[in-house]
Amino acid sequence: MATEIDMPSPHRGEGQGEGQGVKEYRWRMPANWWTRTRHYFLYVAREFTAVPMALWLIWLLYEIKLAGNGPAGYYPPRSAAFVAFSAVVLLFALYHSYTFLKLAGVIIRVKVLDRSIPPRVIVMAMFGAWAAGSVVVGFVLIWFAR
Amino acid sequence: MADKRVTIQATRYDPDRDSAPRMQSYDIPFYDESMVVLDALNYIKNHVDGSLSFRWSCRMGICGSCGMMVNGTPKLTCNAFVRDYWPRAIHVGPLNNFPLIRDLVIDMDDFMHKLKSIKPWVIRKQELPLGAGEHRQTNQQIDEFRQFSECINCMLCYAACPVYGLNNEFLGPAAIALARRYNLDSRDQGLKERLPVIGDAEGVWECSFVGECSVVCPKGVDPAKAIQQTKLDTTMRFVLPYGNRD
Ligand code: SF4
Ligand code: FES
Repeated sequence: MATEIDMPSPHRGEGQGEGQGVKEYRWRMPANWWTRTRHYFLYVAREFTAVPMALWLIWLLYEIKLAGNGPAGYYPPRSAAFVAFSAVVLLFALYHSYTFLKLAGVIIRVKVLDRSIPPRVIVMAMFGAWAAGSVVVGFVLIWFAR
Repeated sequence: MADKRVTIQATRYDPDRDSAPRMQSYDIPFYDESMVVLDALNYIKNHVDGSLSFRWSCRMGICGSCGMMVNGTPKLTCNAFVRDYWPRAIHVGPLNNFPLIRDLVIDMDDFMHKLKSIKPWVIRKQELPLGAGEHRQTNQQIDEFRQFSECINCMLCYAACPVYGLNNEFLGPAAIALARRYNLDSRDQGLKERLPVIGDAEGVWECSFVGECSVVCPKGVDPAKAIQQTKLDTTMRFVLPYGNRD
């Protein structure tokens, strides 16, 4: 005859299970986790690019404030260090924008006539809009700077 | 083939004796080209050291119970071929980011709670009477969520996610993918019940898109996609004037 025994549920979410009442070894994330795979490293690099970009933008706000008194007393920064820093920030901005726009194909779901637009088309549209936006901004800046 | 050998370095942890996990090396025959890491572990258990503990069941990539770290990467051990690592030693460890119970067995309590918290079942405001028959779906309606329904709860994505590793309050990849699976199901009307969990700061917004969950997923679920799509959807609901309509 089968005897009914009180078996712990394998579904720990239900309240009982293997680890209960047992000493467990707690996992700790090592400080160098981001060096462990190329993917982690690129992710941290991508996130890090935001820091110099933020610094550059704060600088830009400061320059705008200085320029607010009119062109007579304003001398834009021309040092080689600033130009080099700006070039690096530009590269970071391009990398960040590239990763962000590439993501659009994954995130955005558009349907036309009940059919999903392929992600590739969405990504291409995003890069197209980016290029067009850059041309417009570049044109405005150059036009007003003349 | 007969005398080929492979070294398996397995993590060992006995909660009654060890204060921290340690490594034990086993030199075993590499007896068959089709041998997988799980076969190697079973060989050890059957012929060398019966005390080695690990979970497995189907041996065919379906049950999701044999997930472990193989040379630092989360893998289904029944799907990781020894020949792909040989002649290097293979290090087999418990899944990262989870408390360790014994040897290669992790505590999946937190994961089970998280799965349950997103109410992974079809929620109806009002059940249709049985006489109304089946709730039919078109192929297009099924395609909306099919990819997210392929999950086998193997937890590899949680082991790969540094965000979960740093903050295990994060709802995590598989639970969010599963929530999306039901939210996209034409039969389901439970979005509003799931929103407080998935839209929470520890829900989708904790994710900073590392993307590693989708890389390691053995079923092509692409939980990173589910999370980013959910971010967009919840934002749209918030911003658009008709966003909160049912
Ligand atoms: S989403 Fe993929 S990796 Fe994560 S639990 Fe499901 S099947 Fe496993
Ligand atoms: S034993 Fe079932 S997935 Fe590996």
